[in-house]
Amino acid sequence: MTGLKSKFTDWIQERFDLSQVTHFVSEKKVPYFRGSFWYYFGGVSLFLFVVQVVTGILLLMYYQPGAQTAFESVHFIISKVQFGWLIRSIHSWSANLMILTVFIHMFSVYFAKAFRKPRELTWYSGFALFGLALAFGFSGYLLPWNTLSYFATKVGTEITAVVPIVGEPIMHLLRAGSDVTTTTLTRFFGLHVAILPAIFTVVLSAHLLLIQVQGISEPESWKEYPPEKKSFIPFFPNFVLKDVLLWLIVLNVLAILAVYYPWELGQKADPFASAPAGIKPEWYFLFMYQSLKYLPAKIWLFDGEVVGVLLFGLAGLLWFFVPFWDERTPKGLRNKIINYIGILAVIFIIAMTILGVK
Amino acid sequence: MVTKEERPGRRNVLDRLLKLSVFAWAASIAYPIIAYFKIPPEAESIPTNVVAAKMNELKVNQGKVFRFGNQPAILVRTPDGQWKAFSAVCTHLQCTVQYRDDLQKVWCACHNGIYDLNGASISGPPPRPLQEFKVTTKGDDVIVSKA
Amino acid sequence: MTQRFHILLAVLLVCFAAVAFSENRDTCLSCHTDTGGAEAITFRNDIHFQNGVSCADCHGGDPSAEDMEAAMNPAKGFLGKPKPADIPAMCGTCHDDMRQDFEKGIHGTGLKNNSKGPQCVSCHGIHNILPVKNQLSPVSASNITKTCAKCHSSVDYMKQFNPGLPVDQYEKYLTSVHGKRNAEGDVKVATCVSCHSNHMIFAVKDPRSPVSPMKIPSTCSHCHNNSKYMAEYKIPTNQFDDYVKSVHGVALLKNSDLSAPACNSCHGNHGATPPGVESVSSVCGQCHQANTELYDKSVHHVVFQQQSLPGCVVCHSNHLVKPPTDAMIDFHPDSLCGSCHSDQPDDKAAPVIRSMRATLAGLTKGQAEAEQVLNQAEQLGMDVTETKYSLKDVNQSLIEARVKIHSFAKEPVSESAAPGLKVIAQAKEAGHAAIKEYYFRRKGLGVSTLLLTFVVVLLYLKIRQIEQKSKKS
Repeated sequence: MTGLKSKFTDWIQERFDLSQVTHFVSEKKVPYFRGSFWYYFGGVSLFLFVVQVVTGILLLMYYQPGAQTAFESVHFIISKVQFGWLIRSIHSWSANLMILTVFIHMFSVYFAKAFRKPRELTWYSGFALFGLALAFGFSGYLLPWNTLSYFATKVGTEITAVVPIVGEPIMHLLRAGSDVTTTTLTRFFGLHVAILPAIFTVVLSAHLLLIQVQGISEPESWKEYPPEKKSFIPFFPNFVLKDVLLWLIVLNVLAILAVYYPWELGQKADPFASAPAGIKPEWYFLFMYQSLKYLPAKIWLFDGEVVGVLLFGLAGLLWFFVPFWDERTPKGLRNKIINYIGILAVIFIIAMTILGVK
Repeated sequence: MVTKEERPGRRNVLDRLLKLSVFAWAASIAYPIIAYFKIPPEAESIPTNVVAAKMNELKVNQGKVFRFGNQPAILVRTPDGQWKAFSAVCTHLQCTVQYRDDLQKVWCACHNGIYDLNGASISGPPPRPLQEFKVTTKGDDVIVSKA
Repeated sequence: MTQRFHILLAVLLVCFAAVAFSENRDTCLSCHTDTGGAEAITFRNDIHFQNGVSCADCHGGDPSAEDMEAAMNPAKGFLGKPKPADIPAMCGTCHDDMRQDFEKGIHGTGLKNNSKGPQCVSCHGIHNILPVKNQLSPVSASNITKTCAKCHSSVDYMKQFNPGLPVDQYEKYLTSVHGKRNAEGDVKVATCVSCHSNHMIFAVKDPRSPVSPMKIPSTCSHCHNNSKYMAEYKIPTNQFDDYVKSVHGVALLKNSDLSAPACNSCHGNHGATPPGVESVSSVCGQCHQANTELYDKSVHHVVFQQQSLPGCVVCHSNHLVKPPTDAMIDFHPDSLCGSCHSDQPDDKAAPVIRSMRATLAGLTKGQAEAEQVLNQAEQLGMDVTETKYSLKDVNQSLIEARVKIHSFAKEPVSESAAPGLKVIAQAKEAGHAAIKEYYFRRKGLGVSTLLLTFVVVLLYLKIRQIEQKSKKS
C-alpha cells in the first residue's frame, strides 16, 4: 500500500513540483491559546458549504423548476426517492447552520481584530462571501414554491423597491417582471445553482488562498509576548484532524436534525390566496425585518421604510470598511471602539431576532 | 522512556482500527447516496402522461377506465377507430363514468347522465362537459396526457 | 186656469230640459244603437257602462255632438277602432298596473313583435266585459281554460310566435283531476292562471315565472299545502312539507340543482296525476335509471306488483325521500328490510340481507380503518398524500355497491365492492409501510451515529497520539 502511494507521488513529482507545496504546508502553524476554538468556525462554514454543494447536486438530479412542477418534484423527492427525505432535510438544515456559523465566524474575526493589515483583503472577500451566503439563502428559499417561500419572496423583493431610484429596476430584475411568477422561480434557480456558485467559488478560492499564504492571525494580546510564550500547533496534521473531527460531528448533527426535525414541505403556493397571517422572513433576515417595523411611518420628509433600508445599507457599508476606518482611529482607543461597536451590533441583532420570532 | 520503536504494535492497532471504522462509516454515508440514484417506481414526479393501454387491448367501440394522477380517466376507442380520452369524473355529482357500447356514448350510472364522444353533456343532469385529454400512440402504447 | 197650465208647461219643459241635459247626451251610444250596431247593444251589459264609462272615454271624440262628423272628429281626440297593438295603452289609461304587468310578460312581448298577438280584448272581450267573478265572463274560473285554449291549442296560431311550443296543454288538462273537476263547475281547482299568473306571464324557463323549476313546489303548495282550502277534497296536504325536507327538495331549493325533480317532474304539468302503482318505477327511473333497471329484473318487482305495492315508494317514500343509509339493510323492525323480512331459516331473503350488510360494512369499516392507519403515519411525519387520494376510489365502490342493492342479490353487490376492498387493503399496506419506514429511519440513524462515535473516539485518540509524539520529539 505505502509502496503504491510513494510510486504515485514520485510519478506526480516528476511532472509537477509538489515538494514546495508539501513543505509549505508542513511549516504552517496555528496559534494555540484559550480562545483558539473560535478558529474552527471558518472551517465548519467551509464544510457546511461543501455539504450544500453535494446535497444540492443530488437534489438537482430530481428537482424541476417551474410553478407547475417545482413543488411536485420536491414532494416526489421527499416521499418517493430513496433517502430523498434525508438529502432534502440536510440541505435545508445545513443552509441555516451555515449562515449561523458564518455569522459567528465573522464576529469572531471582528473581535479578534484579524481584519487588520495585512489581512484587509481577507476581510473584504469574507464579507462578500457573507453577502453571497445570504443571497444563496434567499434564492434557495423560493425553490420549493410553497406558501411560505412564495410570500417571503414577495415581501423580500418588495423591500428592494423601497430604495430610491435604483430600487424598482432592481426589483424588476430580481422578479423577472412586476410580480413573483414562474419566471422569477427560474431566475432564482439559475442564480442559486449556477451564478452564485460560480462567483462564490472564485471569491472563496481567493479567501482561502489569502489565508494559506498569510497564515492564521495571532491574537492581539500576543503582540507584546516574547516568542517563547507563544504556543502553536502544526496546521497539518494536528489542526486539520481536529477540523475533520469537528466536521464529522457536525455531519452527524445534521443527520439527527433531519430525522427528528424533518424540514416541512407545507402547501403549494397559491398566488391568489392571501398571505398567511404572521408571515415573516427566515430568522437570518428577521432582525432587519423587525427593526424596520419599529420605525415611524414618516421620518422628516421620507418614508420610514426608505430610511430604514438605507440605514441598513449604510451600516453594512461601514462594517465592510472596518479595516479602513479602524486604521484611522487614534491608536489608544482603537480596540475599545471596535469592541463597543461590535458588542452593540451583536446585542442589536440578537434582540431584534428574538423580538421578531415572538 | 519508551522509544518510538518499542511501541509499533499499539500504533498499528490504532491506525488499523481507525482505517476500519472510517471505512465502515464511509459506507454508511455512501449507501444512502447510491440508493438515492435508484429510480423510484413512479419515474415521473407529476403524472403528465400515462400509458393507458396497449394498442390491441381495446376493440373498436370499447372503453376503459384507468388512473390518471389521482383521478380516474376514461379511454375510448370510438366506433370509427379513433382514440379519445376524458376525465372520468362526472360533472354532476362526481361519480365515475363508463363507456356504453350500445349507446356509443359515455354514461354515468348514478343519474343517467350521457356525454357524447366530444365530452359534451347531451342528456341528463351533468351541467358541464368532461375535460378532454390528449391521446398519442407510440409503438405499442396508447399514451394519455393533459391537453 | 191658464196660469196653472202655464206653470205646469214650464215645469214640464224644465223637467224635459233637465232630463235632456242630464242624460249625458251620449250621442255615440244612441246613434250606434239606432243604426243597429251590435257593440252598442251589448255595451249596456258591459261593466264599464254600468260604472259610467262611456264610448268616448276609450274611443275619444265628442259624445255631446249630434252631428256624426263633429262627434267622430279626430280634432276632438277621436281614435276610432284602435289597432291591436294600441289596445293595452287604451285600457291602461285606467287599468295601468295591469297594463304594466302585461307588458313585462311574454304576452306583451308577443304583441310587440306581432300585431296578431294577444292583448286585453283577446281574453276579456270587447264591449261586453263582465267582472271576473261572474261565471259568464270568458276569464272566470269556469271559462278561462277554454279562453286560453283558443290560442294555445291552435298549431297555426302558435306557430307565428314559437313553433316549438306544445299545443296539447288543454287536451291534457281535461284528463287531469284539475280539469275534470273544473268541467263539473268546481271554481276552487287550479286553472291556467292559478299557476301561470294572469297578466304578467313569463316563459317557463324564466326564473321569475311561478312555473319555473325552482318555483313550482311553492306554486303547487299554494293550494296543496293549505289544509283549510283542501279540506273538502280529503287528500293529504303534507306533500310540500315532506318534499322540502327530502333529498330532492334540498337539492332543488337549497342547492339550486336544476336536475332535481319538482312536483311536475313526477306528476306531469297539465295532465297532473299521481303516478299509478305500475308507473312509479318508470317515473323514478327517468333519472335513477341504473337502480330501476336492476329493480325491474329483481324479485321485488314481481312481488310488489302482485301485492299492488308502489315499487320504489315502498322503501323510499314519495315526497319525503330521505338520504338512504346502510342501516336500512338490517333485520330489526325499524330497518327497511326488517319491516318485512326476518333472520329465520325459512326466509329466503335472510342470507342476501346478511351478505349485503356485511359487504357494505366491510367497505365502510375498512375505509375508516385505512384512514386511521394513514393518519397515524401522517402524525409521525410520514408523507401519505398519494395513498390518501387513492382512497377516493373506495367511495366509487361504495356508490356502485349501494346501487347494486336494488338487484336484491348477493353477487352484484360483492362484485362492485371488490375493487374498493382491494384499494383498502393496499392503502392499509402502504400506511403500515410508512410507519415501518419511520422506525427504519431512526434505526438507520442510530447505526450511523454509532459508527461515527467509533470514528470520533479513534480519531481523538490518534490526535492525542500525534500530539504526544510531537511533544516528545
